[in-house]
Amino acid sequence: MSKQYDIVVVGAGNAGLSAALHCAKEGKKVLLIEQHNLPGGCATSFVRGRFEFEPSLHELCDIGTEEDPGEIRQMMEEYGVKVDWKPVPDCFRIISQYTDGSPMDVTMPSGKQPFIDQMEVYVPGSRAKMEEYFELLEETMAGTAYISASNGHADSAVLKSKFPNLLRTGSYPVKKVWDAIRLPGKCQDIMSTYWGYLGVDMTRMAFIHYCNMFMKYVTRAAYIPTHTSHEISNAMAERFRELGGEIWYNCRAEEFLFDGDRLCGVKTTMGVVDCSYALANINPDIIYARMMPKELIPEREKKLSAARNHNYSARMYTVYVGLNKTAEELGIRDYCIFMAGTSDSAKEYRDILGGYDSNNFTIFLCSNVANPEASPPGTAVGFFTSMGNPDEWGNLSQEDYVALKNKYAKKFIRMLKERAGIDIAPYIEEICVASPWTFARYLGTPEGSVYGYETAEWDGMMARMMMLNSDYPIKGLRPIGAAGPRGDGYSSAYVCGQLMARLALKDLREEGGEN
Amino acid sequence: MPLKVKVGLIGALDMLKFKNMSKVREAAIQAAPAREITADYAVNNNAKALHPDYQRLVLSEIVEHPAAGAKTFVFENADGGPLAYFRAGQYLSLKLKLDGSALSRPYSISSAPKDALAGRYELTVRANPGGFAADRLLEEARVGDAFYASAPQGNFYYEELRDPRSILALAGGSGITPFLSMARAIADGTEDFNLTILFGSRTEEQILFRDELDKLAENEKIRVIHVLSDEEKPGYEHGFITAELVKKYAPEEYSLFICGPDAMYRFLDGELKKLALPRRNVRREMLGVTKNIAAHPDFPVSARGASYSLAVRQGPNETTVPASAEEPILVALERAGLTVPSRCRSGECGWCRTKVISGDFFAPAEHENRRWADRSSGYIHPCVTFPLSDMVLEVPGEYIGP
Repeated sequence: MSKQYDIVVVGAGNAGLSAALHCAKEGKKVLLIEQHNLPGGCATSFVRGRFEFEPSLHELCDIGTEEDPGEIRQMMEEYGVKVDWKPVPDCFRIISQYTDGSPMDVTMPSGKQPFIDQMEVYVPGSRAKMEEYFELLEETMAGTAYISASNGHADSAVLKSKFPNLLRTGSYPVKKVWDAIRLPGKCQDIMSTYWGYLGVDMTRMAFIHYCNMFMKYVTRAAYIPTHTSHEISNAMAERFRELGGEIWYNCRAEEFLFDGDRLCGVKTTMGVVDCSYALANINPDIIYARMMPKELIPEREKKLSAARNHNYSARMYTVYVGLNKTAEELGIRDYCIFMAGTSDSAKEYRDILGGYDSNNFTIFLCSNVANPEASPPGTAVGFFTSMGNPDEWGNLSQEDYVALKNKYAKKFIRMLKERAGIDIAPYIEEICVASPWTFARYLGTPEGSVYGYETAEWDGMMARMMMLNSDYPIKGLRPIGAAGPRGDGYSSAYVCGQLMARLALKDLREEGGEN
Repeated sequence: MPLKVKVGLIGALDMLKFKNMSKVREAAIQAAPAREITADYAVNNNAKALHPDYQRLVLSEIVEHPAAGAKTFVFENADGGPLAYFRAGQYLSLKLKLDGSALSRPYSISSAPKDALAGRYELTVRANPGGFAADRLLEEARVGDAFYASAPQGNFYYEELRDPRSILALAGGSGITPFLSMARAIADGTEDFNLTILFGSRTEEQILFRDELDKLAENEKIRVIHVLSDEEKPGYEHGFITAELVKKYAPEEYSLFICGPDAMYRFLDGELKKLALPRRNVRREMLGVTKNIAAHPDFPVSARGASYSLAVRQGPNETTVPASAEEPILVALERAGLTVPSRCRSGECGWCRTKVISGDFFAPAEHENRRWADRSSGYIHPCVTFPLSDMVLEVPGEYIGP
């Protein structure tokens, strides 16, 4: 029997968009439904007064130059998606404390050699170790690329001969590997900075995962779209449409429908849609708990969920500011300033989850430093990012909500003034605070988390990739997004969507004739 | 010498450990209980309570303001329990079904935020010459009638992170409603700022909420100055609200908040220039689109009086509706009885964001609030966009109502 659609993609977040594009490009009849009135999920924008705000993207790794494109630039080119990218100067500035208690204020450039050179300035005598370290990183990267390309069927003989150091280090947490190669403590402290982008501290994050992100940011530099991440999402959605895809906005999937144990459709707020396959940009706990028949959920999936025990990562908190002075006038020279209580990432992670009193972690980003077109002449635009505690935001009454949002905002604005000497308070023309409630509202993710499940310890990225064919064995339905094998982040989500779309098409081919 | 990293004591065990990653993971999974999967989160429930898709209201009381030609409609939660909380100054998009049209009107909430938690909102509606929905509401709404409304919306509220401690409010007629809510919120301790209201009415008799405003003004943080345009009486300011009047009552440092009829905004545009306030200190509540669009200097003369046809796709449904060049596209969709998204009706909130597949349109610059990528790829806000040819549109769904 022919279905209305070959594939329904539920959720036009980053993974949903790449999945939909992939399926449409392969000639499938695809419907993309999205509960909000525009695509992107986190990768969106909103307008207040004369400002258009970027809600989530700090920087996108893996774009690379036109001459030497990274994975995401290649993907966008393959799908025919056009985005005007702007490079981000430097990797980061971090104002914090070394683990020995001494003050840290360092700015790291991008590019392998400049990074090593600058590290030598901050940590004299580190050069030889850093060079050795980069060698390990490069091998690990190459090995990961091989494993990713193998769709869960990596050949261990190849791994052993070509990527022995990946095998020796990959399963260990970052901190263990650093200690094993005797990387100087201050180098470790400085390189711990990016932990927040993965939402897991260095004592529990697999080296292989960190390595991938770190190398992409450092060696390929980072990019942002000229007109907020809505530019990317909209370009993807429009291209999907050109390829024959259909999009229904303000349409929510309520239930996945089954014929026996095989998916046959999706019940939505705009009616029932018949389809052969669904790719759901939805957290698996939500799919299983609310959107499909309980009796079809395998025991192992219940155990997987219980093992994860609602351990979601990065319940976001952000403050968006439109300022009536230029970045230069305000003394903002850095694109991205990390401010942390300590460079001990495990302590920092606990402190963030401890709530308001102990949370001293925020990243301030000013788009204009990388992109003069980010806001009208004479103004600047930027945002603070931190994370929330699920109980603090969960046990909060409606009446106390604005006060807590603003208390955090005041703290972070004050931190920027005290630590970096940048006083934005008198120049705020527009301000908007988004809490875990806001992310829960727009994304529907558990507790407003945006990173899916913690990619820590036993549930790291590589282990998930290796078990790609064991998790989520529902016929005709695959979850995609940050909860998937690649973990969080824009690039990971794009890659995850593409990967899962490939697997879905493979499933359909294998089932053949059945539909 | 090639790099050889060892993390454990014997390198070979590290390799084994790597290969065993999936076994370790499987063991962790198998060690967990096969319990029922749940997905009920306090954070998400809080967000849903603050931002429901829609609210079902029942009209429980009507308070008449005969001299002002206005009525206050008191609504309760039709399903019982609290209504969505809000920030004083926000509005509701009230959904109406009139003569086969499914339309909406944005009304500022005049009750205090605390009342919402007790399941109660108040909206005050004033007769509006040529105003289709307001007049019908005033004539026909009865206690017991059921309505759908959006969650509270909008950014017209005091923000301690941005505003000085004092707000100077310029209100015209029923434009008092957001400020009444603010004053009530200050009086009950929900909000903490100083509020001076310059309230323009035609005559003393037509002043809305006169008694309550006088009573609220006993609070040291609240001050109300009545400005009568059509009467000269002792104890009142006379004429329009001018820059001079603003200066007379302005505290040292303040943000100006303005809510009133079209004519008031037009007059104030000139007056505001004299005040030379930075943009960060001026907020306007814009609920509605430019009237008489055919007289707009950028509106093409050839389109005056023209009628077109709009082919509309909404999810799985397709239909064709007639449209006039002089009415926003949203109005044409509503008149055809389509349930389409709309909230602010002034281009600001973007909720009606719609894809133009083909056709020409006029989008007046004063309502331009679209995202850059939307402007560049044929998206419009139909509440402030006028058709200039036959069009094909793709409109999002709307959650409100059955």
